[in-house]
Amino acid sequence: MTKKRRENISLLLFVAPAFIVYFIFKLYPTFSGIYYSMTAWNGLSKNKQFIGLANFVEIFSDANFWKSMLFTSKYVIVMLVVANIIALCLAVAIESRSKARGIFRTLFCMPNMISMIIGGYMWNFIFTKVLYYLADHWGMTFLDKSWIGDPKYAFLAIIIVSSWGIVGYLMIIYMAALQGVPIHLIESASLDGATSWQSFRKITFPMIRHSLTICIFWTLNSMFQVFDVIYSLTGGGPGRATQSVAINIYEEAFTGNIRYGYATAKSMVLFLIVLMITVIQISVMKRKEQEL
Amino acid sequence: MKKMKRMISLMVTIVLMLSLAACGKSADDTSDGTNAITKTPEATQDKDSEEAEEPAEPREVELSIMMSFPQYMDQWETYCKQFEDKMLSEENIKVKINLEMPSSDQYDSVLQARLTGDDAPDLYTIHSNNIKTYNEAGYLTDLSSEALAGKIFDNVKKTVSVDEKLLALPIESTAWGVLYNKDIFEACGLQVPNTLDELNNVCKVLKEKGYTPFLLAYQEQWVPQLMTALSIGGKVSGELPDWLDRMYADNGSYSEISDIFGVIDVVMQNGTERAMEEGSEAGSADFANGKAAMYLQGTWASNTIITTNPEMNMGVYALPVNNNQASTLINLSTSTTLGVYPDSENLDIALKFANYVLDDKASSALFQGCGFNPIATVHDYETSSWVKEAYQYVEAGRSYQDLVLPNAVTDEQGKLLQEYYVGAVTKEEIIEALDAKFQEANKLSK
Repeated sequence: MTKKRRENISLLLFVAPAFIVYFIFKLYPTFSGIYYSMTAWNGLSKNKQFIGLANFVEIFSDANFWKSMLFTSKYVIVMLVVANIIALCLAVAIESRSKARGIFRTLFCMPNMISMIIGGYMWNFIFTKVLYYLADHWGMTFLDKSWIGDPKYAFLAIIIVSSWGIVGYLMIIYMAALQGVPIHLIESASLDGATSWQSFRKITFPMIRHSLTICIFWTLNSMFQVFDVIYSLTGGGPGRATQSVAINIYEEAFTGNIRYGYATAKSMVLFLIVLMITVIQISVMKRKEQEL
Repeated sequence: MKKMKRMISLMVTIVLMLSLAACGKSADDTSDGTNAITKTPEATQDKDSEEAEEPAEPREVELSIMMSFPQYMDQWETYCKQFEDKMLSEENIKVKINLEMPSSDQYDSVLQARLTGDDAPDLYTIHSNNIKTYNEAGYLTDLSSEALAGKIFDNVKKTVSVDEKLLALPIESTAWGVLYNKDIFEACGLQVPNTLDELNNVCKVLKEKGYTPFLLAYQEQWVPQLMTALSIGGKVSGELPDWLDRMYADNGSYSEISDIFGVIDVVMQNGTERAMEEGSEAGSADFANGKAAMYLQGTWASNTIITTNPEMNMGVYALPVNNNQASTLINLSTSTTLGVYPDSENLDIALKFANYVLDDKASSALFQGCGFNPIATVHDYETSSWVKEAYQYVEAGRSYQDLVLPNAVTDEQGKLLQEYYVGAVTKEEIIEALDAKFQEANKLSK
């Protein structure tokens, strides 16, 4: 009994440093956020008026919030498909090369190391200056589009920049999985006369299914919280045409009527959505693990 | 061979990581600098005990100042340096000023985070519209009894006072309207317009002579918003003086002032292309280079314009709203003001700095250097020609005091005008949305 207790204490001690950081920077803000979401605080005044669930009731009739939710969902779905397909193609292409693998891997992974806010401003320059220069001076008139001003092209611009940013990360996960595919299976398939497409579809793809699950849920999770790309690229504009939920929350908290309490309530809703995705993710992955 | 490649890619990665780490470090440094205020008293004490023999050890003080106009960083840094020298030589106080200027987009959120996070700067700029809110939250010191109070012009003092109390030091007080390129106007034989018809005619002539009338830079939402600021201001002050009061009493509507869209349409239809891809600074530079004849932008942009083209011959005129000349007015407003944080550890030095901003000898050079307009009796400098032109309207009684709308409504105007420009909303939808936003703001401020 005492031995076990001592073991527990030493385990707790090992966990403590990480847990304390986690508590201060994650758990405490989360729980104080729940409290703030029930206040009418403006972020400035010293007394925070408690108003119960009124903020959450108001969210239901907040057209701009739901519009931004719709935009975010659209963004998430497109990113899910586009980013994962590009990442998988890149991973397969690089893995099948015999030379210069490391260089390509580094090159494609590099954007992932740059903060997306910097990437966003870089691309902002490209979309507003470089492309127009090409269109005006080099005759590439198909580039002469309103990349920030037209909601349609602004969406495209956001997808391009986001994909540029995250594809490298997804690619690494896929590559790790590809390296785990036993080479003898592919060799025997090719001896049996399978084309490379057939061996990819029937052997490689099923073998890397688990990494697909990881990538899909990671994209779902992180893309729902998209902020920096859009903030630095279009600022959510024109008007609110490219406003994601996170930008909507930021605006509610820091501009206009400055409603911290209400903004926190909105972020609680976003939190619940992301939580739901995570719970599904964990249960799905558990099931997959048992199958293997 | 393979190893070598791996090495190369590894090295590239390391170099990249290091460069990122370097960026991160410099950011940390600045935040350390601001935190250091709390540490200084101990540090000085230690020093005192160690070097007790030297009697005239100067008192060490750190002041942190946050301002919202990074375009004047050089001028203010020099001024802070002067203040540091003055304090050291005259009062034997070693002041170290940490001057921060976040970009104006994020300024308010940074400031609020600092104030609520117990990391308040000792002095900070706020927009005069926010004085009341900040005062109610207890973040402003009453400056009425300071020496500076006696120096500020009375009509400016009114814009920064609440209940007869002077709560902030006005910095930027501007008379502004539409900027125009005098050389182009002269080449076309044009006079500044006083009515909407005349403005239409100006646009027509300019286009015939091959010039683009208006420069549009709508990427940042506050720039298109200037159109509503001027047109609503002129319309309301000239024809519907009780409109704003009624709006605050939920008893008015934007439909009463719907003719502001007349002039907004003229500006948008006679403007440069790719407006949504043009930021305000880029717009100022393009205007300076003669890309268009007129730019709907305040005189605060003059710094960028003159830096880009020192030969620029620029003027200011009042934006006509309709054909009623009584509504063609110049906007007279105080935008940026400097407040003093009342719970500052070095309140005495902070107040000294505030007073030094209106110093009898040094102040004129600072205000002139930034292109600010005179706001106090100590300012006796020659203003630039465009500022004089704007003040001619003021002297002729053709100006109005800037309307104070709720911030949320001002923001919404900028957003909706962007959408209006790209064709996503109609006038009727804008009127409806702004009415709703105003009522929402009224409800929330109760």
